[in-house]
Amino acid sequence: MAFLLRRLVFYMAAFIAAATTNFFLPRLMPGDPVQIMFSSAGTELPPESLQALKLTFGFVDGPLWQQYLTYLGSIFTGDLGRSIKYFPLPVTSVLGHALIWTVGLMGTATIVSFALGTFLGIVAAWRRGSKFDVVVSVGAIFATSVPAVVTSLIVLFIFGFTLGWFPNGYAADPSLDPAFSLQYIGSLAYHGILPMVTLCTVLIGGFTVTMRNNMINLLGEDYIVMARAKGLSDRHVMLWYAARNALLPTVSSLAIAIGTILGGSLVTEVVYNYPGLGNILYQAILARDYPVIQGQLLIMTATMLIANFIVDVSYVLLDPRLKGA
Amino acid sequence: MTQPLLSVRNLTIDYIGEEKDFRAVKDVSFDIAPGEVFGLAGESGCGKSTIAFAISRLHKPPALIRKESRILLDGRDVLSLDRQALSAFRWREVAMVFQSAMNSLNPVLRIETQFYDMLRTHKNMSRVEARERTAEMLTLVDIAPDRMRDYPHQFSGGMRQRIVIAICMALDPKLVVMDEPTTALDVVVQREILQRINELRRSFGFSVLFITHDLGLMVQFCDRIGIMLAGKLVEQNTAEAIYRTPKHDYTKKLWASFPSLHGGVLL
Amino acid sequence: MKNLLQNRKALIGLVIIAFIVFVAIAAPLLTQYDPAARTGRPHQAPSLDHILGTTRIGQDVFARLIYGARTSLAVGFGAGLLITLVGTALGIISGYRGGKTDEIISFFTNMVLVVPNLPLLLVLAAFIGQASPLVIALILGATSWAWGARVTRAETLSVKQKDFVKSAEMMGEPQWRIMTFEIFPNVISIVGINFIGSVIFAIITEATLEFLGLGDPRAISWGTMLYNAQKASALSVGAWWDILTPCFALAFLGIGMSLLNFAVDEIANPRLRTGNHLKRWSLLVRSGEGRL
Repeated sequence: MAFLLRRLVFYMAAFIAAATTNFFLPRLMPGDPVQIMFSSAGTELPPESLQALKLTFGFVDGPLWQQYLTYLGSIFTGDLGRSIKYFPLPVTSVLGHALIWTVGLMGTATIVSFALGTFLGIVAAWRRGSKFDVVVSVGAIFATSVPAVVTSLIVLFIFGFTLGWFPNGYAADPSLDPAFSLQYIGSLAYHGILPMVTLCTVLIGGFTVTMRNNMINLLGEDYIVMARAKGLSDRHVMLWYAARNALLPTVSSLAIAIGTILGGSLVTEVVYNYPGLGNILYQAILARDYPVIQGQLLIMTATMLIANFIVDVSYVLLDPRLKGA
Repeated sequence: MTQPLLSVRNLTIDYIGEEKDFRAVKDVSFDIAPGEVFGLAGESGCGKSTIAFAISRLHKPPALIRKESRILLDGRDVLSLDRQALSAFRWREVAMVFQSAMNSLNPVLRIETQFYDMLRTHKNMSRVEARERTAEMLTLVDIAPDRMRDYPHQFSGGMRQRIVIAICMALDPKLVVMDEPTTALDVVVQREILQRINELRRSFGFSVLFITHDLGLMVQFCDRIGIMLAGKLVEQNTAEAIYRTPKHDYTKKLWASFPSLHGGVLL
Repeated sequence: MKNLLQNRKALIGLVIIAFIVFVAIAAPLLTQYDPAARTGRPHQAPSLDHILGTTRIGQDVFARLIYGARTSLAVGFGAGLLITLVGTALGIISGYRGGKTDEIISFFTNMVLVVPNLPLLLVLAAFIGQASPLVIALILGATSWAWGARVTRAETLSVKQKDFVKSAEMMGEPQWRIMTFEIFPNVISIVGINFIGSVIFAIITEATLEFLGLGDPRAISWGTMLYNAQKASALSVGAWWDILTPCFALAFLGIGMSLLNFAVDEIANPRLRTGNHLKRWSLLVRSGEGRL
């Protein structure tokens, strides 16, 4: 429990660090920070709206620390300002919709690749030196060394354009209205396949190699030898003595990998024109919509911290040595 | 001796390298009678653990037991057992206690589970039956049975070693191999554990292959002793004879390097 | 080092990388076209004249590929070096000095580690505007050192306990000397692995940032090739050569470096080797000479 509390405190500090980065960025760039932040608005914003935006982001009269506290205050009351490109939509609603798509795509892909990758890693480690091991290990190397950008484009090219088996983008058929109908959900699934396949390909290699290496590192342990000496079946020893223990360092490396997963999913969304956070960020950068860009950093950081925390909790549940402590 | 329990003949074990081989055990032969405590002494790297592993065929590549070797347990040829027979053989006929009990128990499974998986595999026991047997075994080694749902890290080193011994006893094996079972423990606990093993031996009648580098300890605990040097068994005799009339140079050297607490007589 | 050359993966990886480096250096000899100039009709398919076709603006794709290799490699290795330097220095300092220094650096490292990398880079790049490859290399160096620092610190902690370090301390060697001449040479394998990993990361991230439009579109690198091709809807109009060329180039380089990375990993930790190093053993078992 103490372990989890410490982690929570740490995550809170990290979130504030992200907010602090947001605060200082426009102020550190050459030029007038207000100009930089809101230049894309041009002359379209009515003066009161501009005033409100300035307030949200801490551009008030007063010393720096007061501006900082104003900004922090806005964030912790859920006010991330309004998007300039989609004015007057609040940043939170622009990002909120996108968040659901991203969590759906990224979450599912992570779970699938973690499960599959870990399984492949277990078998590869147990059958060390066999053809299976060589194929899996080399395959994993190839999968992880190709950038997400490249994998997305190649998959899209082969299956989307050349073979025409799958649609070339968007979350669902643009001519359909979102509804809980079978047709819409079917369209969702159909459109989601390529991005999912891409993300899984990008992620699976890492999990495979991690699990394989963790298993191999503990195959010499005494409890493995004793398990075999007890006459337990090979499969039982592999799963309940080796894999069960190797799972622990693998899960903690999952926490660290989440940042990379977020990055990869971002790129995939852009290539497939999927309406998730990645794509929104991309559009916002093109339009220089700074309130959205900054809000983006906070939401993504928060997502990552929450994901990290979930992994922490899983770790505590998996390792009995931490439960009591 | 009359029909020995364990008969090891011409045991030769190599570790096969990419170019050269390393001969860890060189043509070793010895017998262990039923109910006897046989000790194997020697410094680290002399091959005693290698022999211990070979009896249950626990080695992994690149270890190789050469074809002229013979290991017979109660007349059965251990080296020619097929996979199924070997699984059944392990733990039921021969059980093992390893050096560091810190690591012999799976850290993420409860104690009762570590009894259950073995009981289920060998005797197809239900969970209820397994729990009864587990309680029985834990009481034998003086561990409170209601602690069976605890995890290994919740016990001290000595207690963990006793739990491992309890697991060993659960299928009533004929031979228990102990590879440096008390080296990692302090002297007081050492003594307790060895006394307990002796009591159990008298009650259940199993033989013990006791491996250690501590010759003094061995002489007090074992009936017969074999001295190993660089893979070869250089001397084999009763404990008394090894103590009073060591024949091989190396055995004499071992005794000479042994500091005596009372400056002379050991026992 | 000899081990490295004997390892098949390392050999293949090194050959790939050497090949790409060679092509990059020999660029002017391999093509007569200026990569930035209009030398052909827009979106020409590969032909004898332009072996990899042309871009939307009519530039020769092959020329852009091999000149672009220079930029991508330079940023990759440059940023990789920077990341490794910062990470190694911080790792050794915090690992060796311990105490408050360690606490502060570790806290800071963990914080940087937990903030998602790509979004942070995107926000930075967005504020900077159009980042030239040099600027990209610098911001990569400034934000991506955390993993290396963590790993180097762990290694330093175990080396710190060794006897030769203790004796150097007792002889009164100043701390900076100990860290540079005693600790550093002994964590060199971790630093090496770190370096290769950082270069891979830098190459991939630079390409990604440029693809997303944060680079300077006039620069010639594989990332900007991707960006320009995407902007020209190369896939939709069927100009596959425009976008797939940088894709395969990046994949090829990535695979080369990864092979090297895994090989170095295997050498540092021999248990992880793949492939059959038990040939003799299997032979003996099969001929009945022995068994397990």
